[in-house]
Amino acid sequence: MYVVETSDLTKIYENRYIALNALNLRVEKGAVFGLVGPNGAGKSTTFRILLGLQRPTAGSVSVFDDAMSPERADIRRRVGYLPTNPSFPRHMTPITYLEFVGSILGMDQKQAKIQLARLLQAVDLASAAAQRIHGFSTGMMTRLGIAAALMGDPELLILDEPTSGLDPAGRKQTIELIRELSGRDRTIIIATHILSDVERVCTDVGIISQGRLIYAGPMAEMRRLARQGTISVELEGNTGAFEQQIHSLDVIGSIRYERLGSEFHITFLGTEPLAEYAQRVLSLVDRTGVELLYITSGADEIEEAFLQRLEDDRTRGFLRAAAWAATQNLSNDFDPVNKRMGVKSSDAGISRNPPV
Amino acid sequence: MQAFLAILQYDFLQLTRSWISRTWVLLLVAPAIFWVIVAENGSELASETMAFYVTTTLAPISAFAVAILASSAISGEASIISDSILSRSVTRTEYVAAKIISRIGFTLIVYTIVVIPFTYLMFRFAVDDTSFGGVALGWLVLASILTFLAALGITMSIAMANVLPAVLTVLLTIILSGAVLQFLGLSWMSTTAVIDQLPQTFRGETAVWEQIRVLTVFSSLSLIALITGTFVFRNKDL
Repeated sequence: MYVVETSDLTKIYENRYIALNALNLRVEKGAVFGLVGPNGAGKSTTFRILLGLQRPTAGSVSVFDDAMSPERADIRRRVGYLPTNPSFPRHMTPITYLEFVGSILGMDQKQAKIQLARLLQAVDLASAAAQRIHGFSTGMMTRLGIAAALMGDPELLILDEPTSGLDPAGRKQTIELIRELSGRDRTIIIATHILSDVERVCTDVGIISQGRLIYAGPMAEMRRLARQGTISVELEGNTGAFEQQIHSLDVIGSIRYERLGSEFHITFLGTEPLAEYAQRVLSLVDRTGVELLYITSGADEIEEAFLQRLEDDRTRGFLRAAAWAATQNLSNDFDPVNKRMGVKSSDAGISRNPPV
Repeated sequence: MQAFLAILQYDFLQLTRSWISRTWVLLLVAPAIFWVIVAENGSELASETMAFYVTTTLAPISAFAVAILASSAISGEASIISDSILSRSVTRTEYVAAKIISRIGFTLIVYTIVVIPFTYLMFRFAVDDTSFGGVALGWLVLASILTFLAALGITMSIAMANVLPAVLTVLLTIILSGAVLQFLGLSWMSTTAVIDQLPQTFRGETAVWEQIRVLTVFSSLSLIALITGTFVFRNKDL
């Protein structure tokens, strides 16, 4: 079952700016889905449409198998939302604000009090519970936002940049909290551009770029793709000799490397298993007489994979446009058939969004 | 319904705590007491004194206060509407209905708590030349004008992103409408004409149907403004 499903979701602001471009997103029940993308990629717009705060220009969005709209408060009752840099009524205190959220959710007053006390403790705001929100730091606002999102014990939790503005301790605490919240049939969607956060908590990941989902799959698959062909070593000794012979590790032109002081990040573009390449690197270390301090498959691996996907997407832009144009032509040609048979263009083997 | 009541309560509390509301009440009450004393000492006519109070104090100060309070109903909360309220289990209709009832309700409550004691004191201490029906109708017409002002303010707060332009638009609409309506030969519809006629209205010297016509016009305009505002808000991207 998909908790969230969008189909060709498109959002164009005032015919000027395309925020979402036929986005097809599916999030399974119980998943912790990381939506990763650069600033302005369309993450927040996606969330705002998922919550019914904005209407899509085209395409459809369903949450819990129901079409979302601004009037669907019943669906939102089951969703908790933390916006980026949240704003709250500044004259309120965390207690009065969470009480207000509880009353909006239709919670019994006593039940709301118990819940808010528990949540303020969990997000480490118990000591500031009676202070006015007016003087809160960004981190405190984010933590209050998390508490507010959890007031109704939601089945779906949407967190937009949950670690933004937090210090390292706060960030770690938030990540731990998300980990604790995952499972138990709760689905979590996190938008972020901090990839290490995604790597630490997410079971699935989607990469969004220029309003399109250019990759979606399990985190393990993303890791596998990232590790493929990259070996990092840190050396001591005659590193010059090692560098001179790096190209002998594989056929000419199939090796790319980057040197950062005594560290080498070597990318093999060939198709042989990673273990084979690792063996060759170790042999070269042995031959050149350098001392090996550290070896790993992949450095900043998720970042590398993420940037690689974005780069691929950019370079394939023209191909995609051409494929889309071809699809349009074919669709037009076959429209009478498709109409008669009730077959979508994608069902007929024609993809409107060619795979990246 | 729960969400509607929660927002209504929240907004009403905000209004009662607002310094604009407190100043508004103070600026209405102090001159009212002053005019009661003057009316008693100078044996003034109740109808003339009440109308003078409306022209010099109640109408201008209330217009200003209601324009600010109503025009900040939604745009004043722009930063928190989506983050704190509408992303939760609240429909747009519930939110806007709570705002309308709260802002118009608050305006009418303040108006009533000032006008009723003031009228009683004028009956008692001034020279009473009024008719009960005329006074009731006069105050009712003024209430309908204030309601229209509040409705227009709420609509502007939906249509405009900032409070200040919304307030200015409401005030300019009221000020300029007099001239425009006079030009169109509909001067009986203007607020200035209604206020100018108040002494006669309080004495019961104006035709009832004329007052009912004014009441109907302002009530209809309020309804149109609110329906338009609600429609725009329901279809707005936040």
